[in-house]
Amino acid sequence: MQSFHYPHLPSEYSNVHVALFTDVTNSAEIRSRIVRAAQLEGPDGETEREAVSFAFLDARLICSLLHLQTAVYQAILAQVQGTIRTKTVHSEILWALNPTNNISEAIRRYGVADTTAALIVVRICSPELENVEQLMRTVVSGKLSPLDGLADITDWSSVKKYYKLNGEPALKAVAKDPARERALVEEIVTSSVAMKSVMA
Amino acid sequence: MAAQSPSTRLLETAEKISQGAEAKIYRAQLHPSSSHGDQAVEQILLKYRFHKQYRHPSLDASLTKSRVAGEARALIRCLRSGVNVPGIRMVDAAEGILGIEWIDGKSVRFLLGGGAEGEEEIEETTDEPQEDVPPEEDTLQEYGISQDALMGLIGTEIAKMHQADIIHGDLTTSNMMLRHPSTRKGLQLVLIDFGLAYTSTLVEDKAVDLYVLERAFSSTHPESEPLFAGVMKAYETKMGKDWAPISRRLDDVRLRGRKRSMVG
Repeated sequence: MQSFHYPHLPSEYSNVHVALFTDVTNSAEIRSRIVRAAQLEGPDGETEREAVSFAFLDARLICSLLHLQTAVYQAILAQVQGTIRTKTVHSEILWALNPTNNISEAIRRYGVADTTAALIVVRICSPELENVEQLMRTVVSGKLSPLDGLADITDWSSVKKYYKLNGEPALKAVAKDPARERALVEEIVTSSVAMKSVMA
Repeated sequence: MAAQSPSTRLLETAEKISQGAEAKIYRAQLHPSSSHGDQAVEQILLKYRFHKQYRHPSLDASLTKSRVAGEARALIRCLRSGVNVPGIRMVDAAEGILGIEWIDGKSVRFLLGGGAEGEEEIEETTDEPQEDVPPEEDTLQEYGISQDALMGLIGTEIAKMHQADIIHGDLTTSNMMLRHPSTRKGLQLVLIDFGLAYTSTLVEDKAVDLYVLERAFSSTHPESEPLFAGVMKAYETKMGKDWAPISRRLDDVRLRGRKRSMVG
């Protein structure tokens, strides 16, 4: 797990913890926990919501750490400025990652599904919260892996499909060089995530 | 809403690089190094369209927001069309801040040694021993590219942009950068500053875009007609069959231009 501290962000959102879990076995359970946590009321609901208060992302759709950080940052910015579209800053990350405005679609595409094998787990919190890695391990049954492994997991054809990049002139120009094409896709996707708030 | 915007606080720690009439430019590191502290994190350029005192506040707010949005949209269209432009890293339209990829390199204006910077060197004669290579030529050498080849890159890039029906609106050599060959993406001509950009299919708009560049060349870099001709040659090659109508229009625009009256 890696942790990032943003000194210029308000304290309650200034720490970002990111972890990559591979060989996840309990994706279905995580998903039903999230659904149940949203429905439960009272103090039990509070504790359950707190226990799953993370962004659970399908690691195959994240192009790079920068791509992820860009989405996280825009989500925090929306929360701080009061322009947030979803219920929490964690769900806002999923919205930021999706090219369209449809929230359900974002959760369906980028969130945890019953069959998800590799998960990126993100927690946005204040520096006061400790043992975040432990909190993550409690929820996710999988292998905690170094983030550099992310590059091998990316499903580039799905990324291209969701961002409608398959006929794009820019990609036609670099079609012969897979490394350059991937770099270009990452650039377009990251830039799109960054400017989504002003997309027409 | 927070008392002080996070973006404002980010600017406080950023390094101010320059200021134009419209915006202040800063260099900053947006994302921190991780707890593992292994890799270097990339820097970004922050373009801050500050509050203009001379404008009515509500007009200023909406104009700033739409300029930031317009620039971001132009950049993404360019990226999707394969035009070399900086990537977008952060957008805070409410505060008037656009964060873009830091380009490690120099502007074409600097590399060609134009304007006030290069004035002293131009008068030197070639009789001078050893030191007769003008400093600006040296820097271009450092990039491993000749002036002619550079003109070719410029023409090609502008053609790509026009083929995507994007009009830059402020084509000058200060708004073009050459990425240093030692960087990850290597030697590249990058177009920057899309603050006045818009979409148009009209031949007129493309011709005017080129004319603006032609005037910028002649005013910033003395005796640069052959250089601009090189740009046009590459533009023509890249445009293919679309060149003819633009070429005709450009001739018309030249006749029309400022201080062109045949009246005494």
